[in-house]
Amino acid sequence: MPAIVRILARRLATSLVVLIGVSILIFAIARIIPGDPARIALGPNATADAVAVLRDKLHLNDSIIAQYGYFIADLFHGDLGISLYTNRAVTRDIADFLPATLELVFVSGLMMVMLGIPLGVLSARYRGTWIDHTIRLVTLLGVSAPGFVWAVILMLVFAYFVPIFPVAGRLSDGSGFQPITGFLLFDTLISGNIRAFGDALWHLILPAFALALSGIGQAARLVRSNMVETYNKPYIEMVEAYGFSARRIANRYAFRPSLIPSLTIIGLDFAAMLGNAFLVESVYAWPGLSKYGVAVILRKDLNAIVGTVLIISAMFLIVNIIVDLLVSVVNPRIRLSERPA
Amino acid sequence: MTAPTLKIENLKLGFKLWSGMIEVLHGISLHIGKGERVALVGESGSGKSVTARIVLGMLQEMSSARISGGLTFEGIDLDKLKPRDRHHLRGTRMSMIFQDPTSSLNPVYPIFTQFREVLARANPAISDAEARMKAITALADVSINEPERVLDSYAFQLSGGMNQRVMIAMALANNPSLLLADEPGTALDVTVQAQTLKLMSDLVEQHGTSVLFISHNLGVVREFADRVYVIYKGRIVEQGLTKQLFSNPQHPYTRALLAAVPRITGGGIPDIAEDTAGFHDPLIAHPGASEKELLS
Ligand SMILES: Nc1ncnc2c1ncn2[C@@H]1O[C@H](COP(=O)(O)OP(=O)(O)O)[C@@H](O)[C@H]1O
Ligand SMILES: [Mg+2]
Repeated sequence: MPAIVRILARRLATSLVVLIGVSILIFAIARIIPGDPARIALGPNATADAVAVLRDKLHLNDSIIAQYGYFIADLFHGDLGISLYTNRAVTRDIADFLPATLELVFVSGLMMVMLGIPLGVLSARYRGTWIDHTIRLVTLLGVSAPGFVWAVILMLVFAYFVPIFPVAGRLSDGSGFQPITGFLLFDTLISGNIRAFGDALWHLILPAFALALSGIGQAARLVRSNMVETYNKPYIEMVEAYGFSARRIANRYAFRPSLIPSLTIIGLDFAAMLGNAFLVESVYAWPGLSKYGVAVILRKDLNAIVGTVLIISAMFLIVNIIVDLLVSVVNPRIRLSERPA
Repeated sequence: MTAPTLKIENLKLGFKLWSGMIEVLHGISLHIGKGERVALVGESGSGKSVTARIVLGMLQEMSSARISGGLTFEGIDLDKLKPRDRHHLRGTRMSMIFQDPTSSLNPVYPIFTQFREVLARANPAISDAEARMKAITALADVSINEPERVLDSYAFQLSGGMNQRVMIAMALANNPSLLLADEPGTALDVTVQAQTLKLMSDLVEQHGTSVLFISHNLGVVREFADRVYVIYKGRIVEQGLTKQLFSNPQHPYTRALLAAVPRITGGGIPDIAEDTAGFHDPLIAHPGASEKELLS
């Protein structure tokens, strides 16, 4: 479909521009934070000479523009520099910590879509009835507290008072499973280790649900309100007049047109989970990017800060591109338009 | 004589709202003989659309609607039918055409998807190929030259006139005995509206379909209808053969309606002075055209 290719190309181009902008911004901000990274890295007992050598090695004595030049040149080789906190390549650190975060966010997003959208459809189809009232009340509860509050509440209830789920981590102690990609659900499956898969899933459910709850509520409420509006459209009156079944009208003729305005917002909510995940990760001692991110900021670990922020922005942009593509698939007006949408 | 296609007796409708009851229909009676084309004429808000929706059984599904009176369809008392059987009439034995064809077609599905589902109302087991063939024939009947292309298009890709033809084709595809046309094509421009009305008129004549033609455009009514009911604020105020009514309007409201100059822009007969004394006069039926006489 040429229109989709065109949309994809446009979005990729704008995303690249955004990424460059973000890199410049975060590059500058990271260097404005007070404190000498070399001194922090080497500790208070290091000699002034040692600090000067490290500063030189890090190009910290060059102009900020020259520093950015070095950074970009390295970036082209897939090199984000060395973290002063872990003494390893930043890319390596990210490869270690990012999968845990992505897995969490991905499963939360799945929950949001698989629970939130059907709840919204149900609510709209039975608008004005007790089903609708119940769903609206429950989802209002969901959106009324941020993810980390749910994280604490769910942990207290389902891991402490009624210990069904584990309190922390991604695998039980002594499971002995060696990750391959770092996406544990995936790794355990491809190595055929069903026990480890169950274990990983068990650890994931509570934090993912906590992170998803407000998204589920938001998606349900959004889908409901867009769909209730759609129910007043002449094309719904038409299919009602022709006696199409209420179920079919709900699941197809009213749902799909109202999905178009809903999708964009659901996509934004999903992307926002990347940010909210930080707090949920802290609550569940989830070994994701959040612990790393906070540590490197406190240590003014320049390369690691810039690398982490860039990777998260890139994830944001990828999610947005996917959502845009989905919208154009659902909306024939975009898919079929001859001029650039 | 055979039973009329539709008989409405003393139909009353009210809505129970937060603010209390509002009465919309105050006991209207009308009927449509087999193959007859009957117009229901009145200004906006007089209760024309709700009447059509009650005939289809749609308003009955609304919890706020209070409905009483008799509805008979081809001799069958609709209120005695099981809800399932009654619902089954929709889209099969009765169908409807709306004001704005383009917004009456779903924007995210191609025409064929909707057409197929309309055909499946009468024949749930219909195959894709069969549905396509039937749809193509139906579209050809409404003078669409490239039915294949139209079927695979979305409503927004087609002109209003084209969409109206599609609506007419869908409405008649299952060969219903009653067509409810609620101000059909009022949203279209005048020439297109006239063309598509002519088309609809020819087709219902061919099929012998009975039509309830709702309109506020008297010019169109005069051309299209065999008989006319004039409705004012939920009451039928005058009824008669089209010829009688136009040559010799009796009720003050009908006279005002006829005297009002129709707007050129697809509208009809707006701007009648509010509540002139005689508008609430009782029903006037032309000789030989009362319910009693016609149904005896
Ligand atoms: N669902 C509803 N709730 C309350 N009032 C309604 C509803 N539907 C229609 N009405 C009222 O009934 C009257 C007749 O409406 P309608 O049949 O649509 O008029 P028209 O003759 O223009 O087609 C109007 O006054 C309208 O406000
Ligand atoms: Mg109306």
